[in-house]
Amino acid sequence: MLASDHHRMKLESNQQGIIFSFNGFISEGILFALGDALKKKMSQDETNICTMKRVFSVFVEQAQNIIRYSAETLAKAGQEVNRISSGVLTVGSEDGRFFVVCGNVMLREEAIPLQARLEKIRNLDQAGIKAYYLEKIKDVSDPASMGASLGLIEIARRASEPIQYDFLDIDDLNTFYCMKVFI
Amino acid sequence: MENMFIPAMERSPEVDFRFEENRLSLRGEAYPEDAAAFFGPLLRQLSAYCETIHGQELHVEFQLDYFNTSSAKALMNMIQILETAVRHGARVSLRWCFQKDDDVMREFGEDFSTELEHVQFQLVEI
Repeated sequence: MLASDHHRMKLESNQQGIIFSFNGFISEGILFALGDALKKKMSQDETNICTMKRVFSVFVEQAQNIIRYSAETLAKAGQEVNRISSGVLTVGSEDGRFFVVCGNVMLREEAIPLQARLEKIRNLDQAGIKAYYLEKIKDVSDPASMGASLGLIEIARRASEPIQYDFLDIDDLNTFYCMKVFI
Repeated sequence: MENMFIPAMERSPEVDFRFEENRLSLRGEAYPEDAAAFFGPLLRQLSAYCETIHGQELHVEFQLDYFNTSSAKALMNMIQILETAVRHGARVSLRWCFQKDDDVMREFGEDFSTELEHVQFQLVEI
């Protein structure tokens, strides 16, 4: 049972083109290690350098968003270094394109402004995304966000089609937030 | 001002600020765990230094392979400091180096250059 269950899980992942799929608490150290494996895998597969950089960038921004914004976090208030937070993070390829998926639980009240930001970004074309990036990179008025808006814009900039996202209310307080990006 | 050298680490760039020679460079990848802790001291040193270089010529070179958005904000901050230095009487040139075929870093160079009015900017393929 043990082997057959896990072998089935592995086969399903393989069939979906998954390079790796992480579920659980993620730290900056895990981000680095997964990113290192991802670079080596893409390099072995002789992936084009620009594609590699785009995939890596989306992966880093999504992983950092989980670490910083997941509601399931083990960090004291104000302590941003050594934070570990729970989420899911998957990288794979589908029909010749890479994709990166992230998901985490967040407070419903924080999901509302996030949804508005995502909607805004989704409706911009590439030129609009670039202009919005330049606007936000100079914006020093929003230190509380730790650069989240810029991270989302960077993700959209590296995507080959509009980003997909979804929210699922899981109880009175919390929402599960998920994003899939094709590069 | 004392020179500043930090060797490249797995996720932070080599910092080679030779203030005595008016040559500053950053090389490598930048996605430090704590961007504020890494770039904060560099920005403070750069600001202090830029106030001392009236009438001199400063050469800055960025040769970066990757940076995350927290680092991008810090780089933009550096560029704004350089721009201010020119307004205060220094001559500043910035070489933005990118690897052949690296469209992402080339485009970032173009993006950052749109912020420059007085700094002499060069986009260099290496």
